Amino acid sequence: MVLTKRPTTQTSGVDGRRLRSLKTKQRIIEAYLALAGEKSPLVPTAAEIARRAGYSVRSVFERFPDIHTLQVAAVDFALTLVTPSAPPSATDRQSRIRSQVESRGRSCERWLPLWRSLIANQGESAELRQRVVALRQWDVRCLASIYAPELSTVPDGERRQLLMVLEALTDIESWARMQEFFGLSFEEACSAWMQAIDRLLPPTPARA
Amino acid sequence: MTDPVVTLEANSQPAGATAEARIDRRRLRSARTKQAIIEAYLALVLERPQIPTATRIAERAGCSVRSVFERFSDLHVLRVAVMDHAVAEATAQVMAREPQGDRRARLKTHIETRGMICEKWLPMWRALNMNRGDSRDLKSRVVMVRQVILRRIEMMYRPELSSVPELQRRRIVIAIESLIDFESWARMRQDNGLSFEEACAVWTLAIDRLLPPTPVS
Repeated sequence: MVLTKRPTTQTSGVDGRRLRSLKTKQRIIEAYLALAGEKSPLVPTAAEIARRAGYSVRSVFERFPDIHTLQVAAVDFALTLVTPSAPPSATDRQSRIRSQVESRGRSCERWLPLWRSLIANQGESAELRQRVVALRQWDVRCLASIYAPELSTVPDGERRQLLMVLEALTDIESWARMQEFFGLSFEEACSAWMQAIDRLLPPTPARA
Repeated sequence: MTDPVVTLEANSQPAGATAEARIDRRRLRSARTKQAIIEAYLALVLERPQIPTATRIAERAGCSVRSVFERFSDLHVLRVAVMDHAVAEATAQVMAREPQGDRRARLKTHIETRGMICEKWLPMWRALNMNRGDSRDLKSRVVMVRQVILRRIEMMYRPELSSVPELQRRRIVIAIESLIDFESWARMRQDNGLSFEEACAVWTLAIDRLLPPTPVS
């Protein structure tokens, strides 16, 4: 009995330590994300991150060898939080456009500071650049799925062109300009995108 | 050996006029150095979208670092001067092509010019945006560039835009502006690997769809 109990206690001790370490890591990532959003496009310092997370600077560097590694981990975590726009392919054209635009608008509102920080600080980092490209590809896949009925009616070349156009139109900086440069409200910005997408898409095919 | 004609001419001028001519030559040389510094900065940024150091600028301009700071109190002042030079050059490039012809011709003129501007000035635009920080001078230049782009859209597609109500017109202009942004061009060329002509074709398709029908004149 004693023999079987001892390893279990040791294992749970190790598990507890691992769990605490994981929680610390997660708090550091969340502190980085919060600060990067607030200070965008400046990168927060290790001291600021440690203070916000409630740990020592040493704790930060025990889990991340440098700030760049932490940046990459933070971007990966943020990617898991980006909620996909549900592709309501069963609904009509106008409802799909509204749903996609409003979801994209909310996403832009939430992630703009962090996105700017990522773009400004990607520098020569292949890992960060890769994530920027992955995010754009993900956006294109969402657009392709939501507007599948309309896009299915045109040849491959035109379909590809339209996806590039839709991606450029609904870019996060395009959203930012509508608000910062043109002074549009959330609703007005959504309306501008909805009108443009409706004009760009080919006619919706009649259901079989 | 001294040129007797020059000597004679110099001697025949009043002392004040000679001094003025000397000052004018100095001013001209100083203006040329200033221009060379601006062009050196621009060339370095176009080669690599990073803020160049004073040493590199001086090397490229063929003058001393001291000469740089004699003409520009700091690198920020130089950056603003470079931006003004770039805006003037790009605006001249845009204005050289008048909005003439039918819808197809105007689309072609607008898009090809915009494409050429993006090709040439993208690195400068990126460097400006990444390093403008809190500078009011640089932010105002970014706004100015955007306003030039908007005015150009409105001018090129006046017949089509004049046929729709104000709100609809504004939305169309906003959509076209989003579409023909520097970074949209960069993604087509760098990420999607399109040629200049292919990228122009994408913009043509999009703007043609965004615009209302051309009214019959």
